[in-house]
Amino acid sequence: MTGPLTPDDVSRRAFLETVAKTGGTSFLFGSLFVNTALLRLPQDEAKASAKARRETEIGKGVIYGFVVDTTKCIGCGSCVRACRAENGVPDGYNRTWVEQYTFYPDGEVVVNSPNGGENGFAEPPAPRNEPTVVDQAPVRGFFVPKLCNHCIDTPCIQVCPVGASYKTDEGVVLVDHERCVGCAYCVQACPFGSRYLDPVKLTADKCTWCYHRVTKGLLPACVASCPAEARIFGNVSDPSSTISHILATNRVQVLKSYLGTRPRTRYIGLDSEVI
Amino acid sequence: MHHFITEGYVLPNQQHIYWTTMIVLYPYITGIVAGAFIISSLHHVFDKDELKPVSRFAMVMAFAFLLFATLPLLNHLGHPERALNIMFTPNATSAMAGFGFIYSTYLFILAVEIWLVYRTDIVHLYEHTKYPALKPVYWALALGVLDISEEAKKLDHKVMIFLASIGIPAACGLHGYVGFIFGAIKANPWWASPLMPVIFLLSAIVSGVAMVLICYLIIQWINGREIDGACVHALIETAWYFLIIDVTLELLELINHAYMANEDWAILKELVATKLFISFFVIQILLGSVLPFLAMGTVVVFKQRVPAAVRNVIGVVSGVLLLAQVGAMRWNVVMGGQMFSKSLRGFLNFQVDINGREGLIAGIVIFAMPFAVIFVFSRLLPLWGAVDTFPKAWMKKQPPERQPLRGWSKFSS
Amino acid sequence: MRHAGHFARLFALVAITVVGFFFVRSKVVPKDFGVKGHFRLSAIADEAAREPRHIGSSTCADCHDEIATAWRTGKHHTPQCENCHGPGLMHTKVIGEEPTKAYPDKMLAVSALAIKRPTGLTECKWCHLKTFERPSTLKSITNVEAHVVQHQGTFTAATKCIDCHNPHTTVVTPAKKVIQ
Repeated sequence: MTGPLTPDDVSRRAFLETVAKTGGTSFLFGSLFVNTALLRLPQDEAKASAKARRETEIGKGVIYGFVVDTTKCIGCGSCVRACRAENGVPDGYNRTWVEQYTFYPDGEVVVNSPNGGENGFAEPPAPRNEPTVVDQAPVRGFFVPKLCNHCIDTPCIQVCPVGASYKTDEGVVLVDHERCVGCAYCVQACPFGSRYLDPVKLTADKCTWCYHRVTKGLLPACVASCPAEARIFGNVSDPSSTISHILATNRVQVLKSYLGTRPRTRYIGLDSEVI
Repeated sequence: MHHFITEGYVLPNQQHIYWTTMIVLYPYITGIVAGAFIISSLHHVFDKDELKPVSRFAMVMAFAFLLFATLPLLNHLGHPERALNIMFTPNATSAMAGFGFIYSTYLFILAVEIWLVYRTDIVHLYEHTKYPALKPVYWALALGVLDISEEAKKLDHKVMIFLASIGIPAACGLHGYVGFIFGAIKANPWWASPLMPVIFLLSAIVSGVAMVLICYLIIQWINGREIDGACVHALIETAWYFLIIDVTLELLELINHAYMANEDWAILKELVATKLFISFFVIQILLGSVLPFLAMGTVVVFKQRVPAAVRNVIGVVSGVLLLAQVGAMRWNVVMGGQMFSKSLRGFLNFQVDINGREGLIAGIVIFAMPFAVIFVFSRLLPLWGAVDTFPKAWMKKQPPERQPLRGWSKFSS
Repeated sequence: MRHAGHFARLFALVAITVVGFFFVRSKVVPKDFGVKGHFRLSAIADEAAREPRHIGSSTCADCHDEIATAWRTGKHHTPQCENCHGPGLMHTKVIGEEPTKAYPDKMLAVSALAIKRPTGLTECKWCHLKTFERPSTLKSITNVEAHVVQHQGTFTAATKCIDCHNPHTTVVTPAKKVIQ
């Protein structure tokens, strides 16, 4: 400010001071109030988080789960074809896909998924690096089918701006194609690459665990078509179901557990190289 | 979304890039708004008198760009006709849902502020405009109220100062939330960072100040008008300070990634070193940050010893380089984040479309529209200074003041 | 407040906009939005209402009982009918229509088109072409020509697996077309 203070300057300064003071004090008290209102005792906190961690409440209705047994997958691609036919998935996009992992003696891992595995797998992929030994043959390999994980703490529903992405009571994550604006934020937010923007519908889309089939007592198309029993689907809140038995008798893993999305799709035999 | 050439293993659904030119353009446009607004607020709220010559223009420029901020987004949406759902059923956990409200609030604040600044001129022009066809336009702009008494002007001034003050946090919100949209996505290691909102905001200010600087110098040159040296110096100084903080944080982000060397660092390192080499190291850092830092730094440090002509050239050239820097930064964040797969094993090579809905031509057209608005505005109201600084250009010749007839003075009022 | 007439008009404009916004919102947002969460409740029913396109092998067996029995009792019972023949929904729909006197055979022709006729070569390769990651318990071949030659057959461009292998029973009948 240049020159001597004028009455205007004085009143303006007073005005700004008042604004700052009222703003500052209300913010301070407001935040104190909010924090105390949200304050919970340690015992309550522990109970609440235990409840949140429990994904099922036995007897409270159907809750679906999915297990992928990577030790059984033969990479035939039946699941990919069945899903595409069942759900009209557009070419170039996948609701489910199969990855081929090939390990070479020097430690290199090559991952491959030609067309998502839709036409099966013919050959192991060539190593990326220059082979140090001529005709380097792979030493280990397996297939990993992937699909939407239908997470408990979905990052996709979290970011949808219009409420087009939601979860049913059974834990299935779906998209409302009449509300979706096609911003593709959910596609970016999914850590697993399960989502895509349908080029015909111009909305987000993804695996629905064949909701239209499972609510009629059928299995998802990928589960029904798998000849190797690598995919298992069922009601995890029913202790007598096949899937509950498998979950109770196997060590299961999830993808990217460190991100905290708590996927409902579990894997048996997941290698550390599977990201 | 087209198929692109992939290297290594890219997840099937990531063999398409979903956010392209329009999503690079949107933060670029809102960024210029934030920067221009800061310049005008520095004058109105913080009384930096050196910036008075550009304060009106900066405000109009901010408004013109803000008018078109939604266009790249609407152009990108799969269903733009449902866009208002973002305001009718906003999801409280989605940063993107904040857009509708933050944008409308800020648009309102800025519109009212410009209105208050120009209200006196609007009324003057309603009464005395050279072009009678524009009279209804001015009447509408005045909302039909022609009160420009001293008390009304004082009230306007008070409200304007208040709006400029809350406009600053509003501008921070308008640009900060964009950074949060990227920074809060844990799925993408190139984006996930608490520094994102701050980096976006600071680079926004840099781009806005640079744009005001370039426009001031070029428009005054074209019209043969005098260039206020103190103003140019203040603009260069402001751009320089914000550039320093901005680049420091941008580099800090990268250095932090490199130092922590998480699981994602191997692919990010390759991304920056190969795919983003030109856009990051050459354009964003070397041409866009180091050169302007040195050039503008010379002006800031040596002040009066730099001849005016040299200073002005440095201003324009640095301004252009800064605009390139901020554009490259937006590109590196948005496109860079999609050019590697979440499998952390593969890359996507992206070629910009020339034609098409999200092509380069569409981007250039959208970016040119605010300038068209500024031009139209300049035909209605003066961009630089008030109407009475150059009445001849705008107003009819006033009839001479009536002199009382001699000898009849005691009968005139 | 005097001299604030322009502000009064501005507030009026703002008020009209806000009221207008809520009015349009009440007309546009579905009534069942937000009932059970931040989404449109009827979307669940919309998704569940889609008709399943795969009918299941037991439904195929309702009409094709002989082939189905052969398939179920043979070694090839793990892939389902629809794995090779594609989804069967349209096939059942078309068959369901009554054949007319004028077009008694048209129905049969149309129903055959509504389901995929496998090539008898591509489908087999999906599982039985050797690749490193497949378990050795799954019988595989490296390529068709080598396999045919190894079994003293004649390989031509038109050679198919089903020339010798019955896909339903897995019975091998050399050099004979085993499917009608």
